[in-house]
Amino acid sequence: MASQKILVLGLGNTILGDDGIGIYVVREIRRKWAGRPSVEVVEASLGGMVLLDLITGFDKVIVIDAIMTDDPKPAGFLYELSLDDLGEIVQPYASHALDLKTTIELGKRLGYAMPSAVRIYAVKIEENTTFREELTPPVGDVVAGLADRVIAEVS
Amino acid sequence: MSKKITIDPVTRLEGHGKIEIFLNDQGDVEDAFFQVTELRGFERFCLGRPVEEMPRIVPNICGVCPTPHNMAATKAVDKVYGVEPTITAKLIRQLQYNAFYVEDHFIHFFFLASPDFVVGPDANPAERNILGVIQKVGMEIAGKVIEVRKRCRDIMRLLGSKAPHPEGGLPGGVSRGITEEERVTIKATADYAVEFAKFALQLFKNVVVRNPQYLDLVLNDAYNLNTYYMGMVDENKNVSFYDGNIRVVNPEGKERAVFDPQFYTDHIAEWVEPWTYIRLTYLKVLGWQGLKEGFGSSLYRVGPLARLNASKGMATPEAQAEYEEMYAILGTKPAHHTLAFHWARLIEALQAAEDMQRIANDPLLTSKDIRNMNLRLTKKGIGCVEAARGTLIHHYETDDKGLLTKANLIVATQHNAAPICLSVKKAAQGFVKGGEPKEGLLNMVEMAFRAYDPCLGCATHTLPGKMALEVVLRDPQGNVLDRISRGI
Repeated sequence: MASQKILVLGLGNTILGDDGIGIYVVREIRRKWAGRPSVEVVEASLGGMVLLDLITGFDKVIVIDAIMTDDPKPAGFLYELSLDDLGEIVQPYASHALDLKTTIELGKRLGYAMPSAVRIYAVKIEENTTFREELTPPVGDVVAGLADRVIAEVS
Repeated sequence: MSKKITIDPVTRLEGHGKIEIFLNDQGDVEDAFFQVTELRGFERFCLGRPVEEMPRIVPNICGVCPTPHNMAATKAVDKVYGVEPTITAKLIRQLQYNAFYVEDHFIHFFFLASPDFVVGPDANPAERNILGVIQKVGMEIAGKVIEVRKRCRDIMRLLGSKAPHPEGGLPGGVSRGITEEERVTIKATADYAVEFAKFALQLFKNVVVRNPQYLDLVLNDAYNLNTYYMGMVDENKNVSFYDGNIRVVNPEGKERAVFDPQFYTDHIAEWVEPWTYIRLTYLKVLGWQGLKEGFGSSLYRVGPLARLNASKGMATPEAQAEYEEMYAILGTKPAHHTLAFHWARLIEALQAAEDMQRIANDPLLTSKDIRNMNLRLTKKGIGCVEAARGTLIHHYETDDKGLLTKANLIVATQHNAAPICLSVKKAAQGFVKGGEPKEGLLNMVEMAFRAYDPCLGCATHTLPGKMALEVVLRDPQGNVLDRISRGI
């Protein structure tokens, strides 16, 4: 059986501080790991429908992104999520509100090759509304360990 | 507020998509305020950077509309370096921009707007989404939406190295030219986009305009807002997306101003209110008159319908025919019907597609003369385009080395923020009586929202990638009476 095609997708915005955590993790993965032909490591400052182009054709997608929650977990806390954790599919009220789950469901209905497995590593952040290029220490501390973890998973 | 999952993203950003509705002593709607989160520190972030970096930085401001930011920045950098792009460079930029327009407008219509009309505004929210639309219209049409989008994105990728975040943007031109082989593909995409735009308009007319219930909704006073309008126009005062003067018309459609965007500060002023982070814009000559509509107001709207209202017509023939038909049916120009933004959006998509055809057939498209290197630092540049959501202005100033000393942006949602408050208020008025919100309030308010497609902070990447809209009802003393939101 051919090996699974896997996409490691780092999402975020590196000019909005901790929002860029997903990008920094995939850059760390690229720095540490020579890679495998069946694994693509991609960074994207994108959201919504645009993700359809990126994830089509992969068997498995590992998403690394920031998350903001109102639970008491500290910044830097790592959540492991599935699509089911992302809630119901709804009609968005603005373009900015299209989401990964809807995108994948849409791709499936349209007959696109959508990943059968989606694992999401979400790093808790406190703030993503101030323009800056640095990560805060608790979020920056996650980069190396999370990169190692993803490498171990796809190696 | 319902919380369906342990990790509740409803409050992922304080103020994100929050609407505050204040009731009077009778329990009827007195005021409504729309709040979004401001991205802070942009100017400080930019200061000291080489100005030519801006076209690469600013697409990151927004994960949804990076192309307009890139284009406005590129045009501002042209001005900073006192250089006019070559004819071919302009054609290539316009091609890229039109491809963006077609893609963005169709996505908005089919994914955001059409669930209300194709599935129905009163439909079960679980079905009132793009998947419900596919169920209704069939896979073939849905496949075409995806196909036209893909083809346009291929053009954007070709010209900007990746889509939708363009990486190009050189003063005086573009970083790559077009080959004759590529022209063939571009022509095919343009033809496909024109045909699809015509189909989409026919679908809109069949489903919405010919359905008395939906046409009533479009014409309903709850979605009517009497304002000034602003939009970019070409030399014939027709709708223009990439370049031109800014035209303003009054609520009766009479020309109030036409100005070069370089002089925007003479015409557009910003106002700070304690209830919002957004610096609200208004027509400077009229002074700040508060949140009110009509002649006594200084508020104006931008975006698809505003552009059509502010123009004398469309720049391409098929779009012009659709423009005339729309105003004939709506009965007035300017049309104040907020839900007609959706109609105007499709007409604009047709213009963008037709303009792609024009460019694809222009012999100069494949010229090698893609950059004017006659640069001279002027230290100031203002770049303006019509973003899909409305007029976008980037204003940069530099020192003698071309390092930024000032960066100011005016984005579409700033222009529209005050009118959105008024639209929300009017939509809510019909659905809150005697202090009791009626069933359906949330979607009626959201429909007003969706027409403008406001930009809410642009930090779109943080999971889960969707944002809840929360409506808070308050009594005259500010006490919370009710909170309504969709649990996500």
